[in-house]
Amino acid sequence: MSPWESVIPNIGAADATRTAEAPMDSDAFGQFYERSAHSLWAYLARVSGDPALADDLMQESYVRLLCVTLPEEGEVAHRRYLFRIATNLLRDHWRRPGTTSIEELPEEFFSSSDGQARLDLHALLGPALARMRPRDRQILWLAHAEGYSHREIAEITGLGSASIRLLLFRARRKIADLLREQPVAERRAP
Amino acid sequence: MTLHPCAREKEVAELLRLGHWPDASSNELRAHVNGCRMCSDFVLVTQTFQAARERSLPSRPFQSPGVLWWRAQLRRQNAAVERMNKPILGAQIFALSITALLAVGFVVFQAAHGVGWLSWFTDFSQSRASYVEGLHVLTSAASGWGLDLLVPGLAALAVLSGVVLYLASDRQ
Repeated sequence: MSPWESVIPNIGAADATRTAEAPMDSDAFGQFYERSAHSLWAYLARVSGDPALADDLMQESYVRLLCVTLPEEGEVAHRRYLFRIATNLLRDHWRRPGTTSIEELPEEFFSSSDGQARLDLHALLGPALARMRPRDRQILWLAHAEGYSHREIAEITGLGSASIRLLLFRARRKIADLLREQPVAERRAP
Repeated sequence: MTLHPCAREKEVAELLRLGHWPDASSNELRAHVNGCRMCSDFVLVTQTFQAARERSLPSRPFQSPGVLWWRAQLRRQNAAVERMNKPILGAQIFALSITALLAVGFVVFQAAHGVGWLSWFTDFSQSRASYVEGLHVLTSAASGWGLDLLVPGLAALAVLSGVVLYLASDRQ
């Protein structure tokens, strides 16, 4: 405790409690979590190819969501903001020294199955997804699994809306070609 | 490669979103999708990703939302305490800086006016035969400098400056 705190007792505790109110109460958060956790985990696991990392980043995303003053009200906006936080955390993870950049990761990294912790993308997503660039996979997932619009994807990823349109168009065409190369049985059980 | 979306893509997307594709779609729309590269790509990719999403299951149960909520509360409180401690730290640094500045100023002042205080030792040694006389010399030397008022005054000013700075920054 610093000498100032002994002069002005409890200044920190009282004011901190007052300013530390979460953007939603515990019950509201519990309901929001129930409805969004599976989607967020699937996004993180599919894009990173690492379920353990997805677990960690998902928890951190929710904690950060609760620590900020949300710019918009409503579950849709909160959910979008949550995906934005998760996308930034993924990017930070790849940028950190010692971890490889998302653009430098070989596509085989995402399709390899070294141990139980690694998500078996070959069995779950199919070789087509494994051959996509990670950024394309992010965009495709947000657009086709989550149903976000170009504007929303731009907001989540930080890319320009016009770029999203072009990137998504190319990525969709590429993955459609790759999917068509596979037998129908594999495609139905991605 | 054209970037213009097919005019019927929205219609197809809506049916897919509602889960009505292909059962609730017209024969004409199905025929269109079979013949349109953009729409067929859209249907194929959307169905594949939605199936993958449904089948993405974590290997272990998710963390309880209550635990995450309390972790966030704790982090918010720590951040708030940290924010409030910033002005205190600033005031302490300011007060220390003022004190150091005064000390340096005093030394510079004395150096500029010669080491006059050395003469006090001479006077004191000459008059140490009488302790009372020595005290008299000490008092007269100190009052000559005016330090008995100046130093406590400046110290009080430094402390008050710190308090004022703290109060000012705390209200921001």
